[in-house]
Amino acid sequence: MSKDIAQPDSSTMLDDFPPRTDTSADPVAARTRGLRKVYGKTVAVDHVDLDVPVGAVLGMLGPNGSGKTTTIRMLLGLVTPTAGSVELLGHLMPGGANWALPEVGALVEGPGFHPFLSGRENLFRCAAAEPRMVTSDIPRAVNDALERVGLASAAGRRYRGYSLGMKQRLGLAAALLLPRRLVVLDEPTNGLDPAGTREVRAVIADLHAAGTTVLVSSHLLAEVEATCTHVAVMHRGSLVAQGELRELLEAGNAGLLVSTPDVPVAVDALRDNRMPARATPDGVHVDLTTTTAPEVVATLVRSGVAVHEVRRQRTGLEDLFARLTEAENTTARLSDVAEPQPSTEDPT
Amino acid sequence: MTTVPTAAMSDVRTTTRATAPLGRVLRSELRFILRRPRTLVALAALAFTPVIAGISVAIAAGSMSGGRRDDIAGIAMLVADNGLILPIFVLLLAMPMMLPLCGAMWSADALAGEASTGGLRNLLLAPVSRPRLLAVKAFGVAAVSLLAVTIMAVTAILAGIVLLGGEGMLTLSGSTMSVPASLGRIALLTLLVTIQVWAVAAIALAISSTTDHPLIVLAATTGGIVLFTVLGGIDTLSWLHPVLLTDGWLDMADVVRDPLPADGLVENAFRATCYILIGYSLALARLTTRDG
Repeated sequence: MSKDIAQPDSSTMLDDFPPRTDTSADPVAARTRGLRKVYGKTVAVDHVDLDVPVGAVLGMLGPNGSGKTTTIRMLLGLVTPTAGSVELLGHLMPGGANWALPEVGALVEGPGFHPFLSGRENLFRCAAAEPRMVTSDIPRAVNDALERVGLASAAGRRYRGYSLGMKQRLGLAAALLLPRRLVVLDEPTNGLDPAGTREVRAVIADLHAAGTTVLVSSHLLAEVEATCTHVAVMHRGSLVAQGELRELLEAGNAGLLVSTPDVPVAVDALRDNRMPARATPDGVHVDLTTTTAPEVVATLVRSGVAVHEVRRQRTGLEDLFARLTEAENTTARLSDVAEPQPSTEDPT
Repeated sequence: MTTVPTAAMSDVRTTTRATAPLGRVLRSELRFILRRPRTLVALAALAFTPVIAGISVAIAAGSMSGGRRDDIAGIAMLVADNGLILPIFVLLLAMPMMLPLCGAMWSADALAGEASTGGLRNLLLAPVSRPRLLAVKAFGVAAVSLLAVTIMAVTAILAGIVLLGGEGMLTLSGSTMSVPASLGRIALLTLLVTIQVWAVAAIALAISSTTDHPLIVLAATTGGIVLFTVLGGIDTLSWLHPVLLTDGWLDMADVVRDPLPADGLVENAFRATCYILIGYSLALARLTTRDG
């Protein structure tokens, strides 16, 4: 999890491009400020200040409909923000799309291919439109990409007959046609079997090792926890947390929840054994950073405390995610209740 | 063009170009259109129509009128005796509905169809800039439209010569034209018809840029053509007729008059050109602001 972040020297690649606007000391591959998108009366994304550090694998987490895809679409210049700014590889979007996007590989909102063409022909079509592709290298690039995602044997078949997982792999192949500085993958493991999911993880690890910045959105926590160096959590169109995965995880430790009728006795017994315990409405919460579950149970039993149930509390990213999103839910619900009903205010 | 070695996964060379070579993108678009099964079906149908028409005329020579406008009926009578007028007859037959529908279908697939599969997003992310994307799509639609009309004309010439014989062309004015002059008139009509199809396709492309549903484009274009034809048939609306695209379509039978009455044909082409400009302007305006 604590891989050193490689920062590739990309200046040689950009000689022919206009001067970049990126002047900050801390290099970012993508940055948004005050990003907001409103569809009709629906606020899809609001106040999003996202930073994607160069060389990071940033996992964008959030429930369905939390604004992940809309943010990514604005990042790539597919959608014009209602307000706020987007900077991609040093270029302001959407105006700088012609300079930024050639170095970005993206799989957004599922693969978009034509059913009547084979997988290989679909990739040829993508490759023809890639500005940085050397024409004579197209067949090789296409074959390499197909090989990389494990589709080489099915490349000649029509896209129509592909399974969901194969379609997803082809989308990934299109994003990997060329070496990129940034790869954006929106729900890349959608429809993949466990083997496919592992392969996607391996591809992300490869990209990371090569110094490519990766932005991957997902609602699968395990996937993000396994592959990412950084995390950004979105909820109801807002960015509720972002930073290094390790730092965010340290904020919430694993714990054990003990149900017992004698809460004070249990807490005292555990504290006597130098185990950090505290009483909660659900029972006794024990912090597991300095001890283990069997030791806790053994201690309680030795002290004669009646134990109904011992449960491991949600740990890691799941805990973090739950805290961030559920806390907001609660606040929202409370504010709903607190709001006076307009109809009851009017006595007539 | 400089190549940069990269440390990343593959040894594929890259350049620092900001846009892909235009020729490569246009070729790719054409290949894409011509690989589409429905394009091939439409082209085959258009190629087959003159053969059917030629056989029908050869069998039922002289008995074709069918209550059409006088010029068309006149041409049908003429076809019986001269094969080279078959292309003229067939093109005018296909002008009111068959060819415009094909043009609309290709425009519908170009933007709305691509948007519905997500292929448009791939192009925008490559990136192909939006004005360039429209230019590529317009080129593809225009090229396949020209191909369609040409295929129809060529198979009609062949079918006419084989089935009905072809020594010159008897004109509506009563004179007979030489074979080279006849071929010239056929080429002229092919061009004029193509321009009209381009006009329909341009408007269809503008509609196509507003939606993700190709069927809406096809329905709207068909509805528009029917509406224009009905309006064109109402005499009290004659002040409106000069702006109706469909108004001069059947007057294109003028190409088989001797000497050639150029005025009406030029006006037709000019009107179609206006529609082309309006259609592409609207499409560009919509496409540049559209969410990808």
